[in-house]
Amino acid sequence: MGSPVFVGIQRILVAFDASPHAEHALDVALSMAGDMKAKLFVIAVIRPPEPAESAEFHAVLDEGRERYESIFVPLRERAKQKEIELETDIVLGHPAEQIIHKADTIQASLIVMGKRSHTILHRWMLGSNSERVLRYAHCPVMIVH
Amino acid sequence: MLTNTWALCALWVGLALAATLLAIWFKISTALSEIVVGTVAQLVIGVFLAKEGLAGNTQWITFLAGTGAIVLTFLAGAELDPVIFKTKWKEASIIGLAGFFGPFLGCTAIAHYILHWAIMPSWLCGVALSTTSVAVVYAVMLELGFNVTEYGKAILAACFINDLGTVIALGLIFSPFTVRTLIFVVVSIVVFVVLPFLTPRFFKKYGGRVSELEAKYILFFLFAMGGLAVWAGSEAVLPAYMIGMVLAGTVGKDHSLIRRLRTLTFGLLTPFYFIRAGSFVSVPALMAAPVTLLVLFLAKSLTKAATVYPAVRIHKYDGKAGAYYTLMMSTGLTFGTISALFGLNHQIITQAQYSYIVGTVIASAVIPTVIANSFFLPRHLLPHSQANKKAEQEVMRPVPAEEG
Repeated sequence: MGSPVFVGIQRILVAFDASPHAEHALDVALSMAGDMKAKLFVIAVIRPPEPAESAEFHAVLDEGRERYESIFVPLRERAKQKEIELETDIVLGHPAEQIIHKADTIQASLIVMGKRSHTILHRWMLGSNSERVLRYAHCPVMIVH
Repeated sequence: MLTNTWALCALWVGLALAATLLAIWFKISTALSEIVVGTVAQLVIGVFLAKEGLAGNTQWITFLAGTGAIVLTFLAGAELDPVIFKTKWKEASIIGLAGFFGPFLGCTAIAHYILHWAIMPSWLCGVALSTTSVAVVYAVMLELGFNVTEYGKAILAACFINDLGTVIALGLIFSPFTVRTLIFVVVSIVVFVVLPFLTPRFFKKYGGRVSELEAKYILFFLFAMGGLAVWAGSEAVLPAYMIGMVLAGTVGKDHSLIRRLRTLTFGLLTPFYFIRAGSFVSVPALMAAPVTLLVLFLAKSLTKAATVYPAVRIHKYDGKAGAYYTLMMSTGLTFGTISALFGLNHQIITQAQYSYIVGTVIASAVIPTVIANSFFLPRHLLPHSQANKKAEQEVMRPVPAEEG
């Protein structure tokens, strides 16, 4: 039986980038989805180098797809064992944008994502994905440290 | 130190390593990073360590860099989807030819009449700035899921036509048109017709071994046709791109082979190509005349927009869905720098003109991306035009767990 706080959370979206923080966020989301009988959506975003150059772009795309697909195989097993309904998706683009778009498309009740520690230079140049998602998402966002 | 082959090689590979790290940290393309590292390294080493800088004209560096350009061009051609191309060739031809001829003729005229460049450097400038980055367009299409729409397919095929125009122009405009040119054209046509039939049969019979017969076979044809092209006074990347396109339906679908070729290309060849291209850029020349850079950048952007826009409208695509065809303004670093290097190597352009052209190529590759990321994110929340809505209705975003 779920906590009253989480009543209505039926669709949890996890943003996954294979980092330790994302792994932790995934564990938390799996646990929550199991408790609340919520459906779990996991999205992995492949970010192409900019500006994209033909051969390198396709190499990044192929490598990213293979990497995430191999990670999602045992994840599906874990979800099956816990009787959690799971959907995975691998998309290309800016991570924050794709996470927000996916959340809109599936009408997510909650977005769960890990927090990555970036340098000041990195944040200035590229911005923080978690900050962008917090700013634009239509639903609650949980940042897992 | 720079006469010691291994020390020089270590320097170049070290620069390639540094460029790759920078590309990872800043999430930029390795090609861009290598060009910039090449430019900076040439400047620093030239001033403080050795007068000849990176010694980019050393014969073995020229060979590796040239091979990098050829294989990279082949891989770019092999990304073509022949099925899309067959269904969309009419729209693709009109939009692609408009996208090529607009900046080609426009930039040539502006370089000649406004910058007062001689006619041959102006033509070279037109060729170098006529390209479109297929990868940039494809990346955005994939991002928005438009690659599966009719609209997206047409634009994507148009990009290949655009680049084909650039490669043919580069290969033929500066050619002397002698009997050798005729022989080159005839042999090329025969090879382009025969290869799609011969290659899959040959690979089926002898391929799949550790001796990498497939890679040797492809390299043989690339070098042989490249040699013929140079003998005829043309450019080796012309047949390489064409061979890539005609083999896209066979070799292009062999992911294992393409992956092995990529390892060879990224691991060894293209760092030499892009660092060398960057090393010839003269920073003092760029700083001396920044207005030239601005004029060329505006010339490229405006002429591309002026010609692609009406071509897209002819096919009743909503003008407000412009994000996709305006992306065609983004220049491909590969074809842009190949054209500029061809001009420099054949003394068609000076080093200063080379620097302006490469600077413009980089600017027109980077600026549209920076603008898009700064002002148009998240793109999905932007007001949608009718064409966008129609296109989105066509999109089927894959979500089932079984497919990942």
